[in-house]
Amino acid sequence: MSSLLHFSEHTLQEVALVFMATVYFLRIRWFLKWPLGKERQPATGLGDTNPKKGERYSLGLIAKPWAMESTRSKPLMYAQFVVFHLGVVASISLSFIIPYAPGLLTSTPLVSVIQVLVGAACIVGIMRIIRRISNQYIRAISSPDDHFSLILLTTWFAFAFLAAPNDVSAGEGVMLTYFLLTAFFLMYVPFSKISHYLYYLFTRTYLGRHFGRRGVFPLRRKPAYQMSK
Amino acid sequence: MSSTKNERSYKAQKVLDRMGQKLTRQMVGSLTACVHCGMCTDSCHYVLANPGDPTFAPAYKADRIRKLFKRHYDWTGKVFPKWVKAGSIFTDEELHELKDIVFGKCTNCRRCTVNCPMGVDLATFNRMARGLLCYVGIMPEGVEYVAKEQWEIGNQMGVLKEDYIETIEWQEEELQSEMEDPTAKIPIDKPDSNIVYVINPREIKHDPRSILDAAKIFYVAGEDYTMPSEGWDMTNFGLFNGDDELGGAVAGRVYDKVEELRGKKLVISECGHGYRSTRCEGPNWAKKDIGFEAESSVITMLRYIKQGKIKVDKSKNPGRYTFHDSCNNARSCGLTEEPRELLSLVVEEFQEMYPNRAENFCCTGGGGAMSMAEYRPSRLKSAKIKADQLSATGAKTVVTSCHNCVDGLTDLIGHYKLGMEVTQLVNLVANALVVDDIVEANKKKYAEKEEVGA
Repeated sequence: MSSLLHFSEHTLQEVALVFMATVYFLRIRWFLKWPLGKERQPATGLGDTNPKKGERYSLGLIAKPWAMESTRSKPLMYAQFVVFHLGVVASISLSFIIPYAPGLLTSTPLVSVIQVLVGAACIVGIMRIIRRISNQYIRAISSPDDHFSLILLTTWFAFAFLAAPNDVSAGEGVMLTYFLLTAFFLMYVPFSKISHYLYYLFTRTYLGRHFGRRGVFPLRRKPAYQMSK
Repeated sequence: MSSTKNERSYKAQKVLDRMGQKLTRQMVGSLTACVHCGMCTDSCHYVLANPGDPTFAPAYKADRIRKLFKRHYDWTGKVFPKWVKAGSIFTDEELHELKDIVFGKCTNCRRCTVNCPMGVDLATFNRMARGLLCYVGIMPEGVEYVAKEQWEIGNQMGVLKEDYIETIEWQEEELQSEMEDPTAKIPIDKPDSNIVYVINPREIKHDPRSILDAAKIFYVAGEDYTMPSEGWDMTNFGLFNGDDELGGAVAGRVYDKVEELRGKKLVISECGHGYRSTRCEGPNWAKKDIGFEAESSVITMLRYIKQGKIKVDKSKNPGRYTFHDSCNNARSCGLTEEPRELLSLVVEEFQEMYPNRAENFCCTGGGGAMSMAEYRPSRLKSAKIKADQLSATGAKTVVTSCHNCVDGLTDLIGHYKLGMEVTQLVNLVANALVVDDIVEANKKKYAEKEEVGA
């Protein structure tokens, strides 16, 4: 392994991680400085829910595609969401496995699992790029950051797919690109839409608390009583 | 005062300054978290009725507000404005363009909110944007007029106290006549009552029958109630124009009157935005923790039936009925099951509408849209979605628990020639009341008294 690759796998990643954590810390501090809107209203609804239950439901919606009309009516979009985010998890995991536990990658099944996940995510990424450009609704709301983030992640998935076997016998180019992309990704994330997962916890918690107090969450689709004939 | 791009107009500067004072952490979360996934697009009735026009998409509309937040309050937008589509506002013309979006292209129905995977609550910051524009006097003329009436006269339709009292007395006479009881009362300002009943000014102006129907139900139930002579308007244009001060003042008048009368419970007649404003948002706007119970009259009526205080005969309401959920009731107050249970008790056939409850589509008259004449063509075009929903039920009558929805639905039913009627639960419950025995007993009682007197 060249010193450049070693640097990229270790020092560069660690610096990038520290940078990301620092910016996230500042970002959360900025966010928490905004005053929290207070709800004074006494609870409404049937009384079978409450703010805590609303919070749990709201946060759990990510795993309940049937609960919201938007995900229920677009199962393929939901499937893409799952595949894409599993790919993110796999690719991030890979960036830790290669430098810190390379022995795990001698297991062919694990390499295959990672490649399937990031490969599928890469395909979804390409589909999403096409959708973002071709769908007039999505195109109209897209910012340069939206396009760039998607292209960045899709490219990163492609290199994660190639890097998964952790084989430098044919050269270090792939590994080097993967780790440089990972470092760039880590440093770019806090400034981009990719950091949405940070806000997700807050927005869904606040909305769940609000709707739980008001008896709206969990959403009802069937009668909560025996309807008289 | 208008301005060039290099210098910001007075109003534009005021809007930007005010934004910083109105933002809460919940709003900042919603303004920051959108990933432009577009999953909200199909949830909006404006989008569905205007295929191919992305300017109606919730995320697109939200971005007209979001860009200001990003440019002036979020440091990513301050540092890389073009990269994240942050932008400012400079002229009054731009403020008017924003007005057409926040008032004319969104009814604040919150359907996109419940369909957003990220939990972005567009309606909440759309309301904030309305408030910012109203702060500098930029709003639809109808909204300005109604808000002024509510500030100055105390109710949104400018009903004078004399007219209010006179209408109540007129309905009291009707009650006496229908119940054959010359002592039947619609009490006004009766202290220490179990219930203080507040209404929508529309009931005074256009639908006094609803007051009579409620009075009949209270009469038969033997309820100890009163109507207040002031602070009786439970509607609140503060919800629509985003003015928390107006919202707090209007709700505060109601709360103060209930406290003055030492009422035990506030009962709010059927009105979606009135219920939400008085029951849910009012304490927040007025910054007051209310020390009494408050409930929708739907819950009160249902309880009377369950407790056997009133008897109803559903055969008095024959035919097929469907139910339209008011957005404010369903998506902001969780009032979805009680109206259905009540409806099923007072009509022969109840046909559910799809989608329903918190997934129901807006009547398209929400968010104060009925008072914005300039957007009527666009509103009625978007109402095609609701019209299709109504038609699919095969019902002849649509029931709703909202005066605003009554007007919105009536308008679209006429426009799309659906031939349906619109009614409220109070009318159906009153019509289904089993009162023959009471009326007969009253007749007998007062005939005997007359004989004794003679």
